[in-house]
Amino acid sequence: MGIDSLPAALSVIRPELILAVTALVCLALDLLYKPADKMPCWAVAFFGSLAALASTIASWGTEQEAFSQLVRMDNLSNFFAVIFLMVGLITLCLSDSYVQREGLPAGEYYTLLLISMTGMVFMAQANDLMTVYLGIEIMSIPVYVLVAMMSKSPKSPEAGLKYLLLGGFASAILLFGIALLYGAVGTTQLADILRQAPGALKASDPLFLAGVGLLLVGMGFKVSLVPFHMWTPDAYEGAPTSVTAFMSVAVKAAGFSVLIRVIVLSLSPMAVDWSQIFWWLAVLSMVLGNVVALVQENIKRMLAYSSIAHAGYVLVALTTGTETGIHAALIYLFIYALMNLGAFGVVIAVSREGDQGVEIRDYTGMARKRPLYALAMAVFMFSLAGVPPTAGFIGKFYAFSAAVKAGYVWLAVIGVLMSAVSAYFYLRVLVVMYMKEPEAGAEYSAGPWGAPIGAGVSVSLWVCALSILFLGIWPGWLSHFAQQALQGLTSLL
Amino acid sequence: MEMIEQHLITIFVFLPLAGALFVTVFLRDTQKEAIRWATFLTMLAGFLLSLKLFFGYDADSTQTMQFVQSTPWLPEYGIVYKVGIDGMSLLLFLMTTFLGPLVILSSWRSIEDRVKGFHVSMLLLQTAMLGAFVSLNLFLFYIFWEAMLIPMYFIIGIWGGPRRIYAAVKFFLYTLFGSLLMLVAILYLYFVHVKQFGFYSFDLFDLYRVHLAVGPEKILFLAFALSFAIKVPMFPFHTWLPDAHVEAPTAGSVILAGVLLKMGTYGFLRFAIPLFPAAAAYFYPLIAVLAVIGIIYGALVAMVQPDLKKLVAYSSVSHLGFVMLGLAVLNAQGVEGSVIQMVNHGLSTGALFLIVGMIYDRRHTRLISDFGGIAKAMPIFATFFMIVTLSSIGLPGLNGFIGEFLILIGTFKKSVVLAVLAASGVILAAVYMLWMFKRAVFGPLDKEENKSLKDLNLREIAVLVPIVVMIVWIGVYPQTFLRKMDRSVEGLLARTEQVAAPPVQSRERDSISMMESKSVYDFGRQGHGD
Amino acid sequence: MLSPYIPVFVGILWAALLAAVLIGVSLLFGPNRPTPEKRSTYECGIDPMIGDARTRFSIKFYVVAVLFLLFDVEVVFMYPWAVLLKRLGLLGLIEMMTFLLVLVVAFVYVWKKGALNWE
Repeated sequence: MGIDSLPAALSVIRPELILAVTALVCLALDLLYKPADKMPCWAVAFFGSLAALASTIASWGTEQEAFSQLVRMDNLSNFFAVIFLMVGLITLCLSDSYVQREGLPAGEYYTLLLISMTGMVFMAQANDLMTVYLGIEIMSIPVYVLVAMMSKSPKSPEAGLKYLLLGGFASAILLFGIALLYGAVGTTQLADILRQAPGALKASDPLFLAGVGLLLVGMGFKVSLVPFHMWTPDAYEGAPTSVTAFMSVAVKAAGFSVLIRVIVLSLSPMAVDWSQIFWWLAVLSMVLGNVVALVQENIKRMLAYSSIAHAGYVLVALTTGTETGIHAALIYLFIYALMNLGAFGVVIAVSREGDQGVEIRDYTGMARKRPLYALAMAVFMFSLAGVPPTAGFIGKFYAFSAAVKAGYVWLAVIGVLMSAVSAYFYLRVLVVMYMKEPEAGAEYSAGPWGAPIGAGVSVSLWVCALSILFLGIWPGWLSHFAQQALQGLTSLL
Repeated sequence: MEMIEQHLITIFVFLPLAGALFVTVFLRDTQKEAIRWATFLTMLAGFLLSLKLFFGYDADSTQTMQFVQSTPWLPEYGIVYKVGIDGMSLLLFLMTTFLGPLVILSSWRSIEDRVKGFHVSMLLLQTAMLGAFVSLNLFLFYIFWEAMLIPMYFIIGIWGGPRRIYAAVKFFLYTLFGSLLMLVAILYLYFVHVKQFGFYSFDLFDLYRVHLAVGPEKILFLAFALSFAIKVPMFPFHTWLPDAHVEAPTAGSVILAGVLLKMGTYGFLRFAIPLFPAAAAYFYPLIAVLAVIGIIYGALVAMVQPDLKKLVAYSSVSHLGFVMLGLAVLNAQGVEGSVIQMVNHGLSTGALFLIVGMIYDRRHTRLISDFGGIAKAMPIFATFFMIVTLSSIGLPGLNGFIGEFLILIGTFKKSVVLAVLAASGVILAAVYMLWMFKRAVFGPLDKEENKSLKDLNLREIAVLVPIVVMIVWIGVYPQTFLRKMDRSVEGLLARTEQVAAPPVQSRERDSISMMESKSVYDFGRQGHGD
Repeated sequence: MLSPYIPVFVGILWAALLAAVLIGVSLLFGPNRPTPEKRSTYECGIDPMIGDARTRFSIKFYVVAVLFLLFDVEVVFMYPWAVLLKRLGLLGLIEMMTFLLVLVVAFVYVWKKGALNWE
């Protein structure tokens, strides 16, 4: 590649560049300002992400490969990038006052968040298994640190260590899978793999099959599908809540972006094989996620298990391996991002210093003192449970209709039964907030909801709640964009 | 004006929503009176305006679906905002708007806590219920159908009795469970339609045309039927009902009995039976037998209830058994009787819940044994109570009789045994209602607390008078209402019979049904003569 | 066929030979007076630590080790780049400068944060 093609190539990775430069500026600013004054860092991070988002939206519709076809920008990558950056922006809003309250090192916090987002966008644009791997690592390593950042709480470093060790394993397995695949077909380019796959399948090359299996394990870990979910509850519970919010949606969506690109699209010739595996992973995730969530007392843990179940719903859509399926998965991920962020936003708003007040019983009687938080939480809970007219229903509708369309009726039946189960634990939060009165004299009766919370949290709650209601009634435009995201890719199926 | 004509139903459906938004945005929780007035006036306006539908509905037109509005929503998936009304939904729609202002009036003094939330919930509930009755697109219907759960859940769970949380969660989960299976069935049907006709549509009338194999049709019918049967509720899915009824505040109970339960029976009428006529015919014995079990079981359990509200709740199970029986036999009398009985049940049981609520507000107990002789302390109350009780029993001249009689005639044509068993339910109803009435209202006024009871005030009378007027009207001249749905019922039966019956029997049945549809008309006149 | 590798083989052989010769010569001609100190394991000239390996030691070592590794490894990248600089041209220069810039920011950060201060 000569210098002449550099501008074109750089324009492909423009969002990543913006994010990376912002991260560096953020790091430098951290040195210039006193620890107490972290507003500049926040502002730089926020506007940097906003610029990256604008750049992504501006390149909607372009399709271009760069750097010896290592990265590829198309509408699918743009769609995911929009999800990541939207999540990033909302997370920044949620983090502002939380970081101050918990005394987290703000400069590092925002820098790591930005670097992680850079990795995510690379994952979405990956056109080569090496980029996939690098993207995953760039995304994961900052998140490991972020999880462990709340050093005052004993849970947080423990969570970080668990996540690091298991995540390291998963990365190694993924890398091994890539190596085997390379051994089998002699390339790491996704397009070449697609071309070689039928031949390798015909010969039922064990190297190839094992490679694909290992890839699945590695990605299953990132999106926390059962049985690769062990780290999820601990990591989600121990991490600072804003980081949990970020992980539970952005990291998951990034994992799915790779899953869609590598497995569903590039390995479509062997759809028969992986769709059976997907079927089981989806069923296990939905059943275990929802059933175990029933007995959780800690709301972060409950949402962790619920996030496992939601990964299962997305996988229901992907099991079909059809255009409708991917379309449904994109819509689901977008909606899930909004509602889960919102739910964690309320958790942040309600908790007290030291991440106190995250037990479900701490919410007792909240509807009286904080009616708006309670109302927002109600919207998010109904949406997560998939009750119309919230967006959660639309997501489930698309996912299950994709499954029924492709003939996976039983999968859809299991899915809806499990969402009925999930309604129980989502409703429990509402019961506690709306229908119980705080016991007089009990430790939590003063309510953890006294502390004022920053404007950022309020803004993000409004944004999430209103967009969930809006999308629940007018999902057309989201469906439209998701459809555009698949243009030109569906020929691969 | 043209604009308004076209959007008539939409306006009526979303009027309460607009009211809810108004209350949410402009009124504070402390402005209790203003909130009550705003809600009441919205509901009242809704009712008065919806009378336009009643008078505007042309019962003689061959077009049974009227006031149809169809606006694309997600057209590429065949999701269209399509609403319309026919003779059957017309009555239920009007009953809903009719009960709306009354329940607000009835809970004027009994709801003092979180007034704003309560009234907003009631308004939202009203929109969802009205929407479900007029939706002609399955997707739209499903949205309204599920959206109903949310406000009702809060109404029971926040303003209910001591075991309200249990009741609310049970109500929500039971209903959700059923409707989610229906969602899968809807999707399956939708994709079969795509396969057969090549375009996407959730439109009810498009889906009517789908040809299904015997096996899938039965399964789909069961999925729909389960969802509706839970809502009705049919025996053995009725266990949520007594809990929900007893714990709900009066207004909640009235709406639950009056309208929400009708969603289930209406669902059978509009969706389950016409979409899967062959399966409906196949499962007729099952549904009819369960309905009869419901009638007798509900009556027997009601008989031994010490609690007034529980008694009324179980009597609901019994009455809805009648409605289901009328639907199951699928002939003109049966179906018309069912629809009229849905309205009757809404009025009578709604009124009973109101009356129980009124006495509960005064005495804070609902045990029959705590009362006795209150006719002496509260003569006006006792009079209303008597009329409503008799209507619930099915005394000729009052509304209950019309519905039950039509249903029994319809059943008799199909199966004598079932008709006889079901008729015994009417006798049992007389037993439990009159016995309850005797213990609560007549006899010596021996309890000290009861002597000082105040009789009904003007507001409470204003709540009950309209209901009693309707009870008598339907009882004396049901033709006003029956006429509106004659053609719609004919249409339904024509559809089920042409598809459902095996060739030989179908000829016989056709001839009977033609006779029947005339005889219903005659019966109405005779009923008037009685 | 293997011609490009022949010099490598020669190099390996030469190294092995040289090592064998040197060790052999010193064994043959050197004085051999063993003492307990001399026979013990070599550890930077101090007495070997004997006992449990799981003793606590300061986290400062860890920080220094990590930083050393990081910056050391990054510098390794510069060797192949330097060899090929002419062929990579201006683009290569820009790329390496960007890389170094990132490193410098990180280095300044580490320095300012005091990670390099021992006390």
